[in-house]
Amino acid sequence: MADLEQMVVLDRGGVKLVRFRSGSILREADAEAIGRELLGLAAAPGQRVVLSFLGVVHLTSLVLGKLIHLHKRLAEAGGEVRLADIDPRIYEVFSVTRLDRLFRIYEREEDAMASFRPQGEAEG
Amino acid sequence: MAEGVPETDDLSGWTERTLPTNLGAIRDPEREVLTRLAECGFDEDQRFAVRLAFEEALVNAMKHGNRMDPARKVRLTYRISPERIEIRVADEGAGFNPKGVPDPTCDENLQRPCGRGIMLIRAYMDEVCFSPRGDEIRMVKFRHGRCTGGGTKT
Repeated sequence: MADLEQMVVLDRGGVKLVRFRSGSILREADAEAIGRELLGLAAAPGQRVVLSFLGVVHLTSLVLGKLIHLHKRLAEAGGEVRLADIDPRIYEVFSVTRLDRLFRIYEREEDAMASFRPQGEAEG
Repeated sequence: MAEGVPETDDLSGWTERTLPTNLGAIRDPEREVLTRLAECGFDEDQRFAVRLAFEEALVNAMKHGNRMDPARKVRLTYRISPERIEIRVADEGAGFNPKGVPDPTCDENLQRPCGRGIMLIRAYMDEVCFSPRGDEIRMVKFRHGRCTGGGTKT
């Protein structure tokens, strides 16, 4: 487990599960640190990442930009990020900006984690 | 005041603050605004919307307007009543043309990391307008929905 300033990263069968810190509110002042820590996840080729937004009740366009940056960096290296546990108000922000078309979004982090497993493979 | 952002005919109840160009300086006035909104009966969805627009406008003013120059200030003015909140944010930058910002929802712009702040403000507030130079934004949110014949999103 990696314990970063803005997030906790768990390695689950090769998939990085990222949870923002409890009660975390993604503010502008935190966005640069979030961006740095997110890009650190993309260091390995083919990295698969699930970002859980559980507890996140606010975010801004600067953080959206960081997510897009992560998405691009991962895609360039054959990896992918999927999102989960998004509060309905935050989901609306993704919808308004049409980023729900760019990102694969799941209701729960378990669903997002399972989506990375080959069909028929049980959770280990 | 510049054309495009109408003068107010009644200055009572306005709060004006001059903020340093520092993203951390947003927190205190934001807290004040959210507290007043709750006192005035704005619901959680409305407070979420105002908070989003409030932060986007101030961050735009500091980052893109003042270019994070600590010598420049941001003027924040707002007025809150049980019917509406009106917010004005002015920076000391060179201004910009809001119509020149590419639509971030177009397929070709979807992966651009920037350019969503203004569209979020327009999506979440009921009235939005800019001064001709683009160095001041005025935005309004109505508690009971938008008044007919009100201002327009420009």
